[in-house]
Amino acid sequence: MSSFSRSAQQWATFARSWFLIDARMQPPGKIASVCSVRLQGKHKPIYHALSECGDHVVVINSRHIAFSGNKWEQKVYSSHTGYPGGFKQVTAAQLHHKDPKAIVKLAVYGMLPKNLQRRSMMQRLHIFPEDELPDDIRANLTEELPQPREIPRKLSEYTQEEIDAFPRLWTPPTDYKMK
Amino acid sequence: MTSRGTPSRFLKSVLQNGVGRYVCQLKRVSIIFSKNAQSSLGIRDFIEEGVVDYAKKNPGTVVYVSPQPRRIPKIVAEYLNGNVREEIVTNKTSAQISELLTKLSNQSGLDIIRIRKPQHTDSPSIQGQWHPFVNRPPSIGLIRPLKD
Repeated sequence: MSSFSRSAQQWATFARSWFLIDARMQPPGKIASVCSVRLQGKHKPIYHALSECGDHVVVINSRHIAFSGNKWEQKVYSSHTGYPGGFKQVTAAQLHHKDPKAIVKLAVYGMLPKNLQRRSMMQRLHIFPEDELPDDIRANLTEELPQPREIPRKLSEYTQEEIDAFPRLWTPPTDYKMK
Repeated sequence: MTSRGTPSRFLKSVLQNGVGRYVCQLKRVSIIFSKNAQSSLGIRDFIEEGVVDYAKKNPGTVVYVSPQPRRIPKIVAEYLNGNVREEIVTNKTSAQISELLTKLSNQSGLDIIRIRKPQHTDSPSIQGQWHPFVNRPPSIGLIRPLKD
């Protein structure tokens, strides 16, 4: 038997959770797909299109996202100011330099459904370029989401034992000259 | 675009009618007609042919037949919950009236308005509804302290 009264049960069911996700070394598209599901509330068993049951998502370290391939140079973000000749095109690197939140924000915005709820769902997305959060947001957090991509380790982050234990295909002779 | 402003209710039946036994919710039918008007021809036919059969078939319903001079023919249906529905049967044939009366006696008497959700249960969950902390795996734990 539930220990709630019925009104408290209702509040508990429709309470908004606050999710934290760390975007360090993550592809923005994968971050966005995780966020858009949570913002729409599609991860809940009570999901219904007409009841706004989306949650809040807090994205930290958006400055440290990682694009794969040559996307920092090749990916182009276009906009139009509305004036003649107002068509602007910037590469991902330029946009990221101007606003470190913009790439994640645009990726999430594009993945949300194109309806009247989109703006209010975007208001529940909180992006921070570094990992410092205001205290009022930090107090609300309920759960940290796992990162979608496993961060590869640098050689400097391996211990000496792990480097020594790595299987070697060929042992160089003592007089071998390294280039 | 939407119909949010219109009156609405949730889907339900009257006192779980039909789960154990079925109680016809129509308690009283008054058939009002004129004895000689042309527009009451069909309902006079129905009274000759079908009204006795109808009353015999529905012992839970009281049927009044009241001829009133120069009156628009109509069927007034009263339900157990107090709702009253008037149906004008001007120039309807006997078969149409019989169909209408069957429909009225099958209805529950609840208002015919927009139904908000097409699902309903009479036995809500004993465990309680879902909420964000139900079945939460213990591996989720607390938020790790962020680097400051």
